[in-house]
Amino acid sequence: MTNKLHGIIFAYRSNPQLRELSQPRNTCSIPYGGRYRVVDFMLSNMVNAGISDVGLIVHANYQSLLDHVGSGKDWDLSRKHGGLRILPPFGYADKQREGDYRGRMDALAGVYSYLERIRQDYVVLAGGDVAANLDLDDVFEQHLRTGADITAVCTPVPRGDARSSDYFTVREDGVIADVSVHPVSPMGCESLEVYIMSKDLLMSLVEHCIAHNIPSFSQGVLLDMGSRLKLVSYTFQGYAARLQSVAGYYARSMELLDPAVRADLFNPLRPVKTKDMSNPSTYYGPGSKSKNSLVADGCIIEGEVENSILFRGVTVEKGAKVQNCILMQGSVIHQGAVLKYAITDKNVQVNAGRMLMGHETYPLAIAKNAVV
Amino acid sequence: MKKECVAMLLAGGQGSRLKALTSKVAKPAVPFGGKYRIIDFPLSNCVNSGIDTVGVLTQYQPLELNGYIGNGQPWDLDRSDGGVHILPPYVKEGDKGTWYKGTANAIYQNIGFISLYDPDYVLILSGDHIYKMDYEQMLEHHKAMNAACTISVMEVPMEEAPRFGIMNVDQDDMIYEFEEKPKKPKSNLASMGIYIFNWKQLREYLIADEADEKSANDFGKNIIPAMLANNERMAAYRFSGYWKDVGTIDSLWDANMDMLSVHSGIDPYDTEWPIFARTPTRPPHFTGPDAVVNHSLMTGGCVVDGEVENSVLFHSVTVEKGAKVRYSILMPGATVKEGADVEYAIVAENAIIGAGAQVGAPPAADADPEEWGIAVVAEGIKVGDNAVVPAKAMVTRNVKGGAAK
Repeated sequence: MTNKLHGIIFAYRSNPQLRELSQPRNTCSIPYGGRYRVVDFMLSNMVNAGISDVGLIVHANYQSLLDHVGSGKDWDLSRKHGGLRILPPFGYADKQREGDYRGRMDALAGVYSYLERIRQDYVVLAGGDVAANLDLDDVFEQHLRTGADITAVCTPVPRGDARSSDYFTVREDGVIADVSVHPVSPMGCESLEVYIMSKDLLMSLVEHCIAHNIPSFSQGVLLDMGSRLKLVSYTFQGYAARLQSVAGYYARSMELLDPAVRADLFNPLRPVKTKDMSNPSTYYGPGSKSKNSLVADGCIIEGEVENSILFRGVTVEKGAKVQNCILMQGSVIHQGAVLKYAITDKNVQVNAGRMLMGHETYPLAIAKNAVV
Repeated sequence: MKKECVAMLLAGGQGSRLKALTSKVAKPAVPFGGKYRIIDFPLSNCVNSGIDTVGVLTQYQPLELNGYIGNGQPWDLDRSDGGVHILPPYVKEGDKGTWYKGTANAIYQNIGFISLYDPDYVLILSGDHIYKMDYEQMLEHHKAMNAACTISVMEVPMEEAPRFGIMNVDQDDMIYEFEEKPKKPKSNLASMGIYIFNWKQLREYLIADEADEKSANDFGKNIIPAMLANNERMAAYRFSGYWKDVGTIDSLWDANMDMLSVHSGIDPYDTEWPIFARTPTRPPHFTGPDAVVNHSLMTGGCVVDGEVENSVLFHSVTVEKGAKVRYSILMPGATVKEGADVEYAIVAENAIIGAGAQVGAPPAADADPEEWGIAVVAEGIKVGDNAVVPAKAMVTRNVKGGAAK
């Protein structure tokens, strides 16, 4: 199985429904789960399946992502041969096209010369905005066993926003009978937008879509060519979170307080790797309280924390109360401040005595570096 | 390429006074302070002081230490020029070569390594102290004093001076006499076991010392006295920050408790002088609905649903509901089951404390200080349900449930 599979991660999307959270970064580098960026999950899935070559397709707003992945060494992807390649839109330079990629086929066309040099026979395409501990080795094995042209991973538990997701109608033998793209409400299994196919098929599909000016993979491949290709679903039974809106981000984050979800997502047999920051331990002061909360390293907690997720290096001063919140890296909650149903982005400061309250269905998101 | 200063870190000692904690690992590899191992302190000091070439001399149980240091990447010591090198004793031509006989012999055997970098100065460090120190400042002092050797010293209370190697100095802080554990100390300047030598001179002293069959080949016993006898310029470099020897169970426990005073002593949050460590990637720790955590350190992978107070938890520690942990150190992967009580104890890696068991005890007001001490449960040991492990016990075999030990 080793080194027959090449990974491509789409990391160019910035979802406008993520509002403040996607302003300073694209969706893939949104902090998730206390110490991760969401792209860590798909990168780790690939590495854990023995994939040694990964291309990360970026377009705009990717400084934060570059800072995070660096040379790829934290994922063991800093290699002499292959390893991690960041793919900015160099293919467009001579085509004089401007603007964002309009879809995944557009993005693949943008890195066409990279695709040509892929040395593996098979390619897995995946979005960098899915948090799931997915055994890609098992998906690949099924792909080879079923003789599918394309294997598409889907979940029977739709958690995504229907208007931004694809759905499969799956026959009993696993073949995908119908595809619904961005419907009004969920219809069948929700696609995780992870596909395995041969490199040869991928190249011919990209050529076809370029020639017909079709930017979207769902439209150009799944819908238009679906009847001519053998599309087989891989039903993923684990937990999968796609981050598509602020409310969705909040809900998917809070689900991590469930031990069963954590056990699945942080399966120690397939560890999720991330950038090592060498933070010290978290210190709980005398009189602090921390209940039902996920807390990363380097925090100093002297106030009260409940039903919350704290990223690295967060400070909660004495008398401050944090309930049902997500506090990203470096947030400081000063004395006596009260936060409920809030998401503070990196390095937000909430001054003494402030009270901030959102609601479960409309959590208050506070932009990076803001001082309240 | 030539380096101004090369550091040699003596990491071959067993640390036998740490007993069960060093039965499988060398002392410098003993976990410390929630995220670190003892060796992280001198290693991080080197990097923060601008020293990028470090030889780590290993001998006793080196497997874990070798794996831990690896290519030196966590300390930014994975360099193409210099970097960190593990230096075990080795066989030389004609079946010559021995174990490292003493601290000086260990350096003598690595003259070849040091010469590769043709340094002006060599910094000798040991892997058993917890401190932050700018070796660059010490080197500046060494140069300013035009010394052949500079020894870092710190003031200790006069009544404790008989436990240390004491440096007697003149008005310029130049050393004229060295006394090992003097009964009647003339000064309270204790050697910290950190030396800077002019390499050319040290090399000659090492060769001469090796030729002397009666020598113990030790820096403190032989090299330093020989240099003093030859009237070499020996400077004392005063250090006044936090410094702790962690050579015994009690001092190791004590130094870990000091880590709870996060902004005094060793400040791990100080970004100007970070302490680096190799740590596995674990998810954030989780405090459950019934958790009570006070004045404690906690890190990745821990799941706590019991009470934790005045304690240091390493990664992947589990404290179940109803369990109580006080004034204790729980090393990576340790588990304290439901209703168990752990007080004044060190629970080593992956040890399991069974439900309802009791490990360690607080010092009673009228207790005999000779009788009371920190309880230790060694690596991988299982303490059965409802078992009792008394204060000062050193548990190296599984303890059956229900029965008092």
